[in-house]
Amino acid sequence: MKHTLRKFVTRLATFLILVLGLLVVFFPYFWTFLTSIKDPAAINRPLDFSFTPTAMHWQAVIRAGIPRQALNSFLVGMITVTIALAAGAPAAYAFSRFNVGGAPTRFAVLLAEMLPPSVLIVPLFLLLYHTQVLLGTIWAAVISHLTFILPLVTWFLIGFFDEVPRDLEEQARVDGCSPWQAFVKVVVPTIVPGMAAAGLFGFVLSWNDLFYALILTTGSQRTLPVGVAGYWTFRGVEMGQMSAAILLAILPMILLSFFVQRYLLKGLGGGAITGI
Amino acid sequence: MSFLRIPFKYRLLMPMGLILLAIMIFPLGYSLAISLQDYELSRIGQERFIGLDNYIRLFSNSSFWTAMGNTITFVVLAVGLELVLGFFLALLLHNKATFMRGFFRSTLLTPMFITPIAVGLMFRFLLNSQLGVIPTALEAIGLRVNWFGPDLALFSIVLIDVWQWTPFMLLLLLAGLESLPEDPFEAARVDGAVGWAMVRHITIPLMRPIILAAVIIRMLDAFKVYEYIYAITRGGPGEATESMQYFIYRTGFIYFRAGEAAAMSFTLIIVITLLVALLFTVLRRESA
Amino acid sequence: MKARLYHMVIILTGLAMLLSACGGAATPAAEQPPAAEEAVTLNIIVEQVPDYDIVAELTQTFMQENPNIKVTFDAMPYDAMRDKILTSFMAPKATYDIIIVDNPWMDEFPAADFLLDLTEYVKNTPGYNFEDYVAPVRELTTHDGKITGIPYYNYALGMIVRQDLFDDAAMKEKFLAKAGRELTIPKTLEEYLEVGQFFQENGIAGAAMQPQRGYKVFEEWKNWLYAEGGNVIDADGNVVINSPEAKKALEMYIEMYETAAPPDSLNWGFDDALRSMASGQSATMISYNWMLPALNNPEGQAGELAGKFALYPVPGGKAVLGAWYWAISKNTPNPDAAWKYISWLTSPAIDKLRVEKGGAPVRASTMQDPEVWEKGYGESYYTTVYEILSNCEPLARGVHADEISNEVGTFLNAAVAGEMTVDEALAGIEAKVKEILAK
Repeated sequence: MKHTLRKFVTRLATFLILVLGLLVVFFPYFWTFLTSIKDPAAINRPLDFSFTPTAMHWQAVIRAGIPRQALNSFLVGMITVTIALAAGAPAAYAFSRFNVGGAPTRFAVLLAEMLPPSVLIVPLFLLLYHTQVLLGTIWAAVISHLTFILPLVTWFLIGFFDEVPRDLEEQARVDGCSPWQAFVKVVVPTIVPGMAAAGLFGFVLSWNDLFYALILTTGSQRTLPVGVAGYWTFRGVEMGQMSAAILLAILPMILLSFFVQRYLLKGLGGGAITGI
Repeated sequence: MSFLRIPFKYRLLMPMGLILLAIMIFPLGYSLAISLQDYELSRIGQERFIGLDNYIRLFSNSSFWTAMGNTITFVVLAVGLELVLGFFLALLLHNKATFMRGFFRSTLLTPMFITPIAVGLMFRFLLNSQLGVIPTALEAIGLRVNWFGPDLALFSIVLIDVWQWTPFMLLLLLAGLESLPEDPFEAARVDGAVGWAMVRHITIPLMRPIILAAVIIRMLDAFKVYEYIYAITRGGPGEATESMQYFIYRTGFIYFRAGEAAAMSFTLIIVITLLVALLFTVLRRESA
Repeated sequence: MKARLYHMVIILTGLAMLLSACGGAATPAAEQPPAAEEAVTLNIIVEQVPDYDIVAELTQTFMQENPNIKVTFDAMPYDAMRDKILTSFMAPKATYDIIIVDNPWMDEFPAADFLLDLTEYVKNTPGYNFEDYVAPVRELTTHDGKITGIPYYNYALGMIVRQDLFDDAAMKEKFLAKAGRELTIPKTLEEYLEVGQFFQENGIAGAAMQPQRGYKVFEEWKNWLYAEGGNVIDADGNVVINSPEAKKALEMYIEMYETAAPPDSLNWGFDDALRSMASGQSATMISYNWMLPALNNPEGQAGELAGKFALYPVPGGKAVLGAWYWAISKNTPNPDAAWKYISWLTSPAIDKLRVEKGGAPVRASTMQDPEVWEKGYGESYYTTVYEILSNCEPLARGVHADEISNEVGTFLNAAVAGEMTVDEALAGIEAKVKEILAK
């Protein structure tokens, strides 16, 4: 009896703590939403709840091209992640199976992710403008994002390949596969969850980048974070519109996170972080 | 046919190698060369080689070292808090008995998916001393907190980082917990271990490599802190929240002194590498 | 799996190409210098401010009159502009044919040889009347004897007050009892401080200040410095900041912050101060003169308070000048078309239209035109702006003006925060400015 009571209290305490965490997490969203439906004068009265909701900010934001910026961000993220996976997976496999370069290389791959963007931006810019065709397109953003997403994805995948039993490829080789066929047809399918996790993670990083995008994207190629920052101007901060833009930027990610969370967890637990 | 004569394992590395060569190794080398020159973006064509002068001058640049100190303080505080909170929450969410576990898992993870500039701007307005809801509400119960005054500003930035990135720590640690083998726990349970004792003697030792990985990933990212400062304090009051990333950005892209900025970046890389190596040695030794 | 991946790359690549093709207008396409009738696209970088909305509207007329010139704008917030402009200059062919230049850059960019010399263009454009630009604004157009910028709009600072509070009978009575004089618009720092503290004691912040680190705090404080007769660099180029005048101005500024500004507003910039005014929580602020129309707009964020705000010169009379300029990139393939556009937009006739629609004036004739008064914001507004513009000076000049403005702001902000004494801050500014000038 006493035991059940204690269990109940523990569970209740756990629940209350998690609810508290939920409040802390959701309060800023909730408040941003409120701001996005208040008229400009009501925004300046934070504790006044007697306002009439308005859709003006949402309409203005949608007219202002936020959907286009979201599409840009989506494309940049997808292209970056696709390239990163296509180039990173074979490399990770080489590091894992053939231990190319040994442990220091693995570590170097991780360190590559950490390079301060400030060290790369000037040469990257010069590189892009000498190519002429890339500057002013979303490829500029893709290339800059690859500098941190490619190493990260590779490093993630090394751990996953470590987990794949070697028997698999050996069996495939016995069955007459070339090493490449064994890799593509046998090994890769087993780490799809890992690739999904790494890819999603890379996508989130790309979607959220401001530093590179601010400098490298212009005009209609602007990405969403640049658009969001754009509501903070010398005509005064259009808080209503900015709140609506912020929500548009974060909603897809929140929804995405609901669906992918389990996948991400499974993928990460599969070896990425145990492989260091 | 010469391509096929390259050993298989190197062929596998080629796509990544070529990409990194173009977008990383080359820029790095270029940057290193810039760091050895008097190189101003507004005086292109007038660069001159000055050896290590940019680096030597950094030693007497007190603002640079203030920014370095701030950034390291920020990283230690933020990652430390995130680790403690994240580990605690991960334990709760790992426990199968927890009510509505799936729901909490998906909702508590959301902040890490948001673009940091949006987070910075949201908190700038939430914490505005006259018109923000948090100070207004605190004042109603008689509390006055000067969030962005000289004493608290850096800590407030830390709290914003904690809000956004504890979920990431939680995610990594939770993934780690899920991947742990069941046997040691069973054995401990048979021995009568419960609660905190179990966590301390079984979970933490088993989790050590995962904690190390999570801390390093988070740390490398935290060193890039930029958006919150750009959105809220611009490095003030005084130099209280000046961060490396913001400082280097200003030197290079606002003051156009690319040579100095590159030297700062390389110095930062050296410091980070040393810190990571230190962390590795300490944590690895403890686990051995 | 692999095949599918590559498939996806191809599809996404195609999509991206498609998009960049549609958005291609953002980059000038012309390879060779175009013949007279050939279509030209001018790409212009602008800041997102009210004046830009007006310019964009007027530009429609220009494009109807000149069907062979297409004008596209890339509008962005201030803080993103400097690196964008720089990267455009560095490219072999300009991303932006026309750029707008903030006054701290008006020596730096010509010195770096980024801007086209417009002297001949100005001379050869009939009826342009360049001398019409008010002198302090006009002075900044010229570097080394060459005109490189054409005034766009001014953002000189003024004092915006809640006129209704100054006219309020009860307030007047209380102030008379307290100070022994009438409640009037402050003309000196002493009066400003006294009035500010008075309002603070009566339930409304005396001054919405902007002590944020960087150029913000400097932009506000330098008006205080002028009021005491001080300066950072004198006419001969000597650094004169470490002076009794500066000390007094900074001490009074800090006292105002501590006794009459909204509490804990150390990180406030322009936007916070504006919101504080708009929400009726502050009685005065020193800000851009063109903020007045925004505050008095009944559909704007001030709501019911609209119409109660008024503009005056800053205490002491001499203000910080801010102004934007149109300039042509040296590496544009279309300099003639660019000049055609700029000279049209800034011609006396079109400038008048711009100001009537609410733009911030730069031409004397426009500010003195009764028709503008009537269609714009009334005689007193334009005469006040004219008065402000006839006695003003920018934050800093020279090739390092931007860096000086930012670095001075660090010390000022530290002094307001109490992290440095006033003496330390002024000595620090002196050393820093000398160091920057020596570079």
